[in-house]
Formats: sequence, structure tokens, C-alpha cells
Amino acid sequence: MKILAVLIGLCLVFVFVWERVDMVRVGYQIERLKRDRTILERQRDELRVKVSALSASGRIAKLATTELGMHLPQQGQVILVQSRPSAIQPVAVANVVPVAVRVAKNDLLARRF
Amino acid sequence: MPDSVPRSRRYVLLLLLLCGFGVVLFRLVTLQVWQAAELSVKADRQHRKTVSLEGARGTIVDRHGKILAMNVEVPSVFGVPTTVDSPTKTARLLSPVLHVRTDELERKLRQDRNFVWLARKLDPEQGRRLEHLSLDGVGVVMEGRRFYPKGPFLSHVLGFAGMDGEGLEGIEYRYESYLRGEKRTMVLQRDALGRSVFPKDLTERNPTPGHSLTLTIDEVIQYITERELEDAVTRTQAKSGTMIVMDPQTGAVLAMAVSPRFDPNVVSNLGADRWRNRALTDAYEPGSTMKAMMAAAAIEERVVKPNTMVFGEYGRMTIANTVIHDHEKLGWLSFAQVIQKSSNIGAAKTGIALGGQRLHRYLQAFGFGQRTEIDLPGEGTGLVKSLKDWGRRSVASISMGQEIGVTPIQMVSAMAALANDGVLMRPYVVAEIRDPEGHLLKRVPPQAKRRVVSSDTARSMTKILEGVVTDGTGSKASIPGFKVAGKTGTAQKIDSRTGTYSTSRFVASFTGYVPAGNPRLAMIVIIDEPQGEAWGGTAAAPVFSRVGEQVLSYLGVASPEPVTLAMAMQ
Repeated sequence: MKILAVLIGLCLVFVFVWERVDMVRVGYQIERLKRDRTILERQRDELRVKVSALSASGRIAKLATTELGMHLPQQGQVILVQSRPSAIQPVAVANVVPVAVRVAKNDLLARRF
Repeated sequence: MPDSVPRSRRYVLLLLLLCGFGVVLFRLVTLQVWQAAELSVKADRQHRKTVSLEGARGTIVDRHGKILAMNVEVPSVFGVPTTVDSPTKTARLLSPVLHVRTDELERKLRQDRNFVWLARKLDPEQGRRLEHLSLDGVGVVMEGRRFYPKGPFLSHVLGFAGMDGEGLEGIEYRYESYLRGEKRTMVLQRDALGRSVFPKDLTERNPTPGHSLTLTIDEVIQYITERELEDAVTRTQAKSGTMIVMDPQTGAVLAMAVSPRFDPNVVSNLGADRWRNRALTDAYEPGSTMKAMMAAAAIEERVVKPNTMVFGEYGRMTIANTVIHDHEKLGWLSFAQVIQKSSNIGAAKTGIALGGQRLHRYLQAFGFGQRTEIDLPGEGTGLVKSLKDWGRRSVASISMGQEIGVTPIQMVSAMAALANDGVLMRPYVVAEIRDPEGHLLKRVPPQAKRRVVSSDTARSMTKILEGVVTDGTGSKASIPGFKVAGKTGTAQKIDSRTGTYSTSRFVASFTGYVPAGNPRLAMIVIIDEPQGEAWGGTAAAPVFSRVGEQVLSYLGVASPEPVTLAMAMQ
């Protein structure tokens, strides 16, 4: 009986010690995961800043003009007009929302001044 | 114990043992009873670590969610001079990574101190290079650094944050209470090696980041505005330039540009003069653009109609012993033509007919002499003299835009009121505030301040101001396919040495709205001290035209002009 009591006591001590050790182990694990998360969040933020810098309109425009040979349309070269359904389909008129259409107008009104 | 051991030795041994136990007991009582409180605190300090944490500053985005300012954690490097073996060697290794001179680093590392900053808020790449060095007596901590990824873009509106993350200018300053992250201290337990084990209280959470702001600014419109303004300032060799683009129906500011710009990432060596938002702070004499507001007041008060005939005195008239000139010798002309041809004499005569009291009342109603209450810091009130301080010439002078100081934001708001059926709106730049999880905390609704003139008067003014562009001084503000309403202004600057108007330094401006019939944009362009052709119609109006055309195209506003469509189809 005494031996049993001693064994139970030892088991309890063992469980207590094991619990404390495991708590410390899990604590380290949590800290490591937190560090990993912080590093990943930091990398995400750095990438967001990079994306924002790379997608800046000024940079895109510069690349378009210097590397791709593009240029801004001159004044009057781009005109947006309201496209309405033609008279051939009068039934659809009420249901159709006017759509903006881009029309390139080469040099017609360019350099007015 | 054998009997051979003398009794005396046994007593000595017992005494020694008792003494030993006594010493241990004494030490035990000392530690556990007498010094218990003090040592308990010391132990706590050794295995607990209190860290001060601050949530990241909130992000600022444009109206389409494009990032304009955000925080990133970056490394800051500190030294513990008392533990550095060779300051010379350490400084030599650190110098190329930190971009700080070797002698400066060495001087810091030789100080008789336990802590010294070597470099703060470095680039992430520098941090990665530092990891490989692993130097004794040199440590790294992570701090939040404010990044403005688009550099000088929108700099005067965004402002900037200081080294400790506090907003110092612009939106960063104005919305500090929303943007700033929560500050908290947290207790961590640490082991013998100093590693964190876990927070004392596992329910403790990280400090909350600041709220994020969504602006009314549109990145593309802002880019177009800044580019065209910079071009104009460079082309005219002007001192500076200011331009504002506003939605006249809501008061939302779509773009606000000041040239020259500055990079908010690097402000340490710039003066306040460079980062001041002139669009809000600087008052200028508006010159002829003020005639639009005077005309609206005169029509509203039925002093004149657009077709009322006014005699132009052939370009010269004396008022209160001073002579007023026009830029051309004009005879009889309708009131609409007075505005279209920007006749000073016609404006002065109309202003006198309106009377000082009514003119003063309308100036206040249009918002001059008071803040527009835009949600940006540093706004000036301009200068509208009290009625009792007006001289004999004041009514005539103010009617043509002299003896009065206005800010660009006041002038564009007043013009936007004419575009908005006569209702003055409060300009604003922050549309939404969201919490760190992205939930909407506050949406800023458009706010009508008051009706300044009736719808009929606003419509009459639109017709008159259209004439300024089609037949008057503002022809270079025209946009193919659209009707533009606006007014030019060329104001002489005061010569500070003589106290009189300068004959060589001008402020050229143009303010108006487009499309005239259904305004989507109200804009103002101000070019300060342009060289060469320094008129509002030549220096500022073309900028209005170029920005207006591109922005309308970007917004998908179609041309209402069938003639232009037919021409385009050819």
C-alpha cells in the first residue's frame, strides 16, 4: 500500500514537472511563431510599399515614354462621345444606358494654340 | 564514532558544524526575511521584461485604395560603448552599411555611456546586411518608419511624420489622433539566456494599429495636375505654382498641387517654406478673377443684367483722385462683355453701383476673409478689410480684385459655388476613416455651407463666364468638345521696397469649371511671377485646358458637342 502511495506521489510530481516543462516548451514555440509572423508581416509591408512605388503614375508614364516609345495624345486627339442606340432599334432605347466610347481623332484639333 | 577520538575534538567538530549551520541560517534569514522585499523586486526585474510597444501608424490611401503613406518596421542600430572592444574596428565595419562617417561612429562608440543611437530607421536592406556582421556591443531594434512610396507625390497634402512617428505636417498632423497607433507596455517572462518565454498574461494582445484614411484625392488626377503644373512653372520660369481640382457638387478635392514639390521621405534638410501648403496658407491679390464674384453679386441684387450697357470711358477713369486703366480703350459694352474683356473700369462702375455694404456682404457669403474649414492644417483666412476700414477707392479696387487677399482654396470654392447652382460647399480631402480591420468608422458626407446666389444668377454667370473663354481673355482655357466657364486674373504684386504695385512681378491665374452645363470639375491655376507673357490668359489658362481635357477623358465624361463628334468622325 505504501509503495502504491509512493508511486502515485511520484506520478503526480512527474505530471506536475512535465506540465511545467511543456508549458515552457509551448511558450518558446509561441514566441517563435510570433517572430515568424512578425517577419512575414514586415515582408508583406515592404512588398506593399514596393508595389506602390513601382505602380506610381509618374514612373509608369516615364517608362512608357522613354522605353516603349509611347507619348501622350496631343490636345484634341482623344474625344469621348455618348453612344446612343440608333433609331433602328427604338424598343431598346429606354433600357440602354448611354455608353462612353473613345474616338481617336488624329491631329484634327491638335495644336490649336 | 570510535572512543579513540578525544571528546575535545568531538566538541570542536560539533561547534564547527553549528557555526556552519548558523552561518547558513543567518544567511537564510537575511535573504528570506530581512532582504526579502528588495530581492523579490530584483528577481522580478531579472526574469521579467517590460517592453513598450506602439501599434503601427495607419495607412493613407487615395480614393481608389492606392497607398500613399504607410508604416514599415525597419532596423535602428544602437551601441553599448562600455562593451565594445575595439571602437575603431567596429566603426570601420559599420560605416559602409549605415552610411555614416567612420569618425562619427567611432566618436559615439568611445563615449562613456551604456546606450547610444548609431543610426535610426534604416532601409530594410541595410538591416539584412547588418545581420551578417554580428558585432559585440552593437544591437538592433525594430521601429516603425513612415514611407511615402511615391516620393514627392502629393507631398503638400500628405505632410510628413517625424522620427518618433508623430504627424508634423499636412494630413499626418491634422489626423494624428486617428493615424497614431495605440501605445502599450507588455510584461514578458524571460529565461536565463534572456529569451522571451511568453507574456505574463496570455490574454494580452498586441497594441492596436492606427486607423487608415481614404482620401478624396485621385492618384491619376493628382499626377496629371502635378505634371502639367510643373511643366508650366518650368516653361514660364515662375517662382512657384498652385493648382486645385475640386468636384463642385460635393466639395471633394480631387487634386491639390504646389510646385516646387518636396520629398516627405527626406525632410530634415528642408525649410518650412518648402513644405508649406500654399494652396491654403498663402493669400494673394486675385485680380480679375474676383470680378466673377462681384458680377454674381451685382446680378443677384439686380443692379445689372448681362445685357446692361456700361461705358468703358475709353480705357481711363479717375476715381478718388487715382486713375484706373483698362488694357484696351473700350467704349460702350454690355455687362457680359465687361467680364469677358475683363474691363477694370466696367467692374469698378458696377461695384460702385452695388455699394460697399452689399459687396462686403457677398464677399463674406462667398467665403472670403474666413477659413473654408477644409480638413487640413494651417489654413489662412485671407484678408478682407472690415467695412469701416474701406477707403474711398476700396469698392472700385475690390471689384477688380485689388485691396483684398484670398487663398487659392477660397477662390476655387467660390468659383465652385457658381458651378454648383449657387451653393457653397465645404472643401474636404478625407472621405473615410477605417479601423485596422478595415471596418468603416466614419464617412465624411458633402457639406453645403450656404446658398450664395440663386440658381438663375448662377446660370447667368455660367453664360457670362463661357463668353470669357469663347470670346474673351480666357480663350486658351478652351477644351475641344466641351464648354468651359472661367475667368482670367493677372494681379500685380506689391513691391515690398516701395509699397506700390510692381510693374514686373505678377500673379497669373485662371479659375473656372467644366463642362459648363453640368460641371464635373472646378479648378484654379495660379502661377506666381511668370516670366515673359505673364497674363492669366497666357500663363495659367493653358494649364487649365490641358488638365481639364485629360481629367475629363480619365473620368469618362463624354463630349456633349455634336459638332466636335462630326469633326472627329471625319
